[in-house]
Amino acid sequence: MAKILIIDDDPDMVLATRMCLESGGHQVVDASSPAEGLQKVKSEKPDLLVLDVMMDTATAGFQTALTLRSTDADSEFAAFRRMPIIMLTAIHSTTPLRFGPDSEYLPVDTFVDKPLDPDKFLKTVNELLASRK
Amino acid sequence: MENPLQARPAGGGNPADVASASTRLIWTRWAAGLLVLAATAISVRAVGLPLPERPLYLIGLSILAYNSLLVVLAPRLATPDSEDYLRRLRRFVILQVALDWASMIAFVHLTGGVTSPAIPFFGIHMLMVTILLPVPTPYFYVGLAGGALGLLSILERSGRLAHYNILPALPPGLFRDPLYILAVIAFFLAASAATVVLAADVMERLRERERQVAALLQTTQAISSTLSLPEVLQRLTVSAAHALREQRASIRLLDETGEKLPMVAAYGLSEAYQTKGPVVVRRSSIDDEALSGKVVYVRDAAADPRIQYPEFIVREGIGSMIVAPILGRSGPLGVLRVYSSRPDGFAQDAAAFAQAIARQGAVAIENALAHEALQREDQLRAQFVRTVTHELRGPVGGAQSLLRVLIKTSQASLTETQRDILARVEVRLDALQSLINDLLALAVSKTVGFQETATPQALQPVLHRIIEQIAAEATDKQIDLALDSPDETLLVRGTEDGLAQIYGNLIGNAVKFTPSGGRVTVHVAEVDGQAVTTISDTGIGIPEQDLPRLWQEFFRASNARASKIVGTGLGLSIVKRLVETFGGRIQVHSLEGQGTTFTVWLPLSETSSSG
Repeated sequence: MAKILIIDDDPDMVLATRMCLESGGHQVVDASSPAEGLQKVKSEKPDLLVLDVMMDTATAGFQTALTLRSTDADSEFAAFRRMPIIMLTAIHSTTPLRFGPDSEYLPVDTFVDKPLDPDKFLKTVNELLASRK
Repeated sequence: MENPLQARPAGGGNPADVASASTRLIWTRWAAGLLVLAATAISVRAVGLPLPERPLYLIGLSILAYNSLLVVLAPRLATPDSEDYLRRLRRFVILQVALDWASMIAFVHLTGGVTSPAIPFFGIHMLMVTILLPVPTPYFYVGLAGGALGLLSILERSGRLAHYNILPALPPGLFRDPLYILAVIAFFLAASAATVVLAADVMERLRERERQVAALLQTTQAISSTLSLPEVLQRLTVSAAHALREQRASIRLLDETGEKLPMVAAYGLSEAYQTKGPVVVRRSSIDDEALSGKVVYVRDAAADPRIQYPEFIVREGIGSMIVAPILGRSGPLGVLRVYSSRPDGFAQDAAAFAQAIARQGAVAIENALAHEALQREDQLRAQFVRTVTHELRGPVGGAQSLLRVLIKTSQASLTETQRDILARVEVRLDALQSLINDLLALAVSKTVGFQETATPQALQPVLHRIIEQIAAEATDKQIDLALDSPDETLLVRGTEDGLAQIYGNLIGNAVKFTPSGGRVTVHVAEVDGQAVTTISDTGIGIPEQDLPRLWQEFFRASNARASKIVGTGLGLSIVKRLVETFGGRIQVHSLEGQGTTFTVWLPLSETSSSG
């Protein structure tokens, strides 16, 4: 039972993820833009973050993750650097960086392909949460 | 850029030409020597002329003798690449000329001295010397020959040398007559000098033509070996300047409005001159005239009233310039200017030559512009495809996700019919998503830019990943899925995505179209510098009549369509495109009802050590 924040500008994806996670016993809060999302990270202090890869621009998702994981000493998100981040991405995307996160380059823990496979998604979320305990 | 075009002096400058002329001279000399012998024999025996036989035979034989020496010496002249080759070649030629001069004088002496009918033979020598050696050497030779003839006449006249009168009809004292001697020598010198002047002029023009042709060829090669517009323009300015034996040139191209002529390339010009100010076509009569198709030769740039910025002309030290129009297929593109520091500093045909160069330039510039336009279009198309698929994927993905979650969370409360309908909707949405993905893959494989992103890729890891992903499905259907590949990693040219597409499709199809309990084998081998992969299955096979159309977009074999197996019909067309883009080929063998084998050949990018 964890508090999960989902940042996605597609309300249908938000609903689908919410229903899936709630059926797995988690509490869900959502935000529909990177700005709102970063606000809610500070105010809600979630245990895990689900982030859509592309919102307004092709790099909005990555930018958000980079901000959260910033190594700046005086970053306002310093407390959340260890928070697990799952990135929702489209399969066969023509943007690079598709195969698996590389901690050197990518500030997320794992990718999950859209459309959602509810069972696999829940499994991934639970495993990530367990690894952080 | 080096400038070999300017290094060659006029007249006898090209080592290859001099070498071949020298060889021809040697061959001509064989004939000359034999001719002397034959002519002497015939004149004495058949015609009965009072010739000094033995000395003449001696001359003929000595000509043949020193020619043999020259033949032996010729190949030892030093290798054609060495720096002093031309110098040694010239000295060799001078040696030949000197020997010929000596034998000619001797021959003239033996055939009557100043009364010899053989004196005109010197004309041949004059021509050869003018062809072989640069001015002023030929004139020097004229002086030497005339001087030798004069000396000979004086020596014979004073009795110190014998005189041979070979034409009995000639008055016996003729060779002593001072007027006769003077007249012969005067006409000899005049005729020889005239010959040299004319021959030198012809040689000069020939050499200049040769140089121009070579310059034009070099220019064409330089500018058409690149499709980058800045490269083309830069090379054109440099080539044009050197071709006209100058050090400064510039190119101005019409901008989109067609009213201004900004400078797009410059060679040898100062920064200040390049940025002096805009050239507006209507206000520059020189450029206006040029753009209408005429080459303009500005003889005295400093004093010409048509010049827009005279103070810059003076400061830059420009004396004269040629402005040649660059004419494209559908209109003028701009102008090419070549500058000289001297007023009236260009040769007569320089303007026409500049025009020829500008014409070549126009072709190369238009090619580069077309290439740029193509690349821009390609980028726009790729962007469009990406945008469209993203726009399509979003809604479909959202609908799929919701549907799946609905099905999962409301299993218990659904009726049979409701469950059935939801399942059908899910199938249709999955098919739609699949189609969108395939269309995107197909569109990407058709972009020109895609081909340029191929790099060496390890083949086996891609196959392993694909098989891992398909393993679950194979196990579900109890299909034996096996990979057999060599230990050493094979590197093929391609993209990671592309290879994943190719093998994902082929292996996925194999599992998809093989019924329960069947077998799919993937075999990799290195053969003749290619990675050969065979994907064989014991599936439903492909009917023979469908094989030719297998690679067509949206084509599905009749038995595939009849089965319940879903598919877009795009997979194989994508695979074939990708394989061919990576330089390989693909083949299929199949027996309906028994199985199918696909074979893919991909060229190896380089030999690799065991991985």
